[in-house]
Amino acid sequence: MHHAHIDKFAYQDSTIHRLDSRVKFLVVLVFTAVVISLPRSSLSILACYAIGPFAVLVWAGIPLKFVFKQILLVSPFVIVLALSCPLYDRTPVAVSFGPFSWQSSLGWLRCFVILGKFIVTMLALIGLVSTTRFSDLLAGLQKLGMPRLLVIQLGFLYRYIFVLIDRAHHIMRARAGRKLRNLGFKTELRTAASMLGSLFIRSIDTAEHISIAMQARGFDGNWRTLSKLKVRRCDLFFALTAAVFMSGLYFFVKPILQ
Amino acid sequence: MKTMSKAIEIENFTYRYPDGTPALSDISLSVEHGRKLALIGPNGAGKSTLLLVMAGFARGTGKVLVDGLEVNSKNLKKIRTRLGCCLENPDDQLFMPTLFDDVAFGPLNMGLEPEQVKSRVAEALATVGLAKMADKAPHHLSAGQKRAAAIATILAMSPRIITLDEPDGSLDPRNRNNLMKLLRSLPQTLIIATCNMNFAAALADRAVLLDKGRIIADGEAKTIMSDAKLMAEHGLEVAQMKL
Repeated sequence: MHHAHIDKFAYQDSTIHRLDSRVKFLVVLVFTAVVISLPRSSLSILACYAIGPFAVLVWAGIPLKFVFKQILLVSPFVIVLALSCPLYDRTPVAVSFGPFSWQSSLGWLRCFVILGKFIVTMLALIGLVSTTRFSDLLAGLQKLGMPRLLVIQLGFLYRYIFVLIDRAHHIMRARAGRKLRNLGFKTELRTAASMLGSLFIRSIDTAEHISIAMQARGFDGNWRTLSKLKVRRCDLFFALTAAVFMSGLYFFVKPILQ
Repeated sequence: MKTMSKAIEIENFTYRYPDGTPALSDISLSVEHGRKLALIGPNGAGKSTLLLVMAGFARGTGKVLVDGLEVNSKNLKKIRTRLGCCLENPDDQLFMPTLFDDVAFGPLNMGLEPEQVKSRVAEALATVGLAKMADKAPHHLSAGQKRAAAIATILAMSPRIITLDEPDGSLDPRNRNNLMKLLRSLPQTLIIATCNMNFAAALADRAVLLDKGRIIADGEAKTIMSDAKLMAEHGLEVAQMKL
């Protein structure tokens, strides 16, 4: 079965793809922190910040349709949160955008800032995972000091989530093939519980087999990998450009737009 | 005079599952180095369990020697560098984010230097025909490629003995033929557990028939797998082989 992998475009080749995963991760981390820390009256500066990840995505050849689909996929929770703002904060505020100005409420302003920050940070995050192979990202995180156990867990999660999804699909298909009438809520619930149980038992089985496969190849509890990561001049140039872009907007453009 | 050790020597071995169900009863088996042995038998005969016993994952009563080393906690590390076991489902065998990392996993655990590890990975992947796929994630491989990759993870450790559990499972004829060619070309001692008589007959020079945890027959592959009565008695079929 084919899945929509989060790093679907990470196997392409571009200057951005070839950058060191640690540098890209740190840039995205700092970028996210800067965007989140922007004050709520900064919608126009948010639009300026969006230029950065947008340019990276275009340069790396990531289809924007794919990017916006991914944003939509994870947006429901944030949309609910943002739309709840106008309901509890109706303090009137004057809003201006270029030559236009109008009256609104603080709640609506918050709503748009939350959505804006979400979209801009998601652009950066999708830029990171779409230009970095998950294995390189994990290797980078380990080099940056993330606890080894957590890196291993993430590696296993990424490796086996698709196997688990496949199994769940197979079980659901087997159920659909034999379900010829509506069985009622209670029976449906019991069937769902059995299906979950079966999936759980098979997962334990798989875990045992993986443990055997690891021990058979000499695993003694110490995780050993070969690192292929190397920070080059182009990585430093990228980090420097990102730093200039972020600080330039923060210290020079933001005071003008506010 | 010092006698050369056998690849596998098992004497009067008995094993029960943790719930008390007998899995293997009074197994005695000896395999010389360089042989290609087929462990045949119906489902539930104990073939997979016997392979786990050889790799030290199931302990019972009796004696088990692998390349002259008794299977016990003290020798396990040495045994696992000499005997590579390939599990039935390649998805269980390939657990790392990339094929390169997966094939490098064993050599790294053996304590080899990074350059040696890289050369072993390259050699193992070239042997199974996946040299250009080192950076691929295992879930992006086809069933045939996964099977070949699983074998590469073992080959990179340069074991003297390789055990394979149902290696032809869910392979189409083309991939099965490719796998047969690959296995035939390997110089190691191969112990292949399978229910597919044609596959076993094409590869093995010796066959051991297991049923209900006991060895029923042990001898030349051609003789055992062409015995229609014996095969039918144990729920198997005669191999349609060109021997």
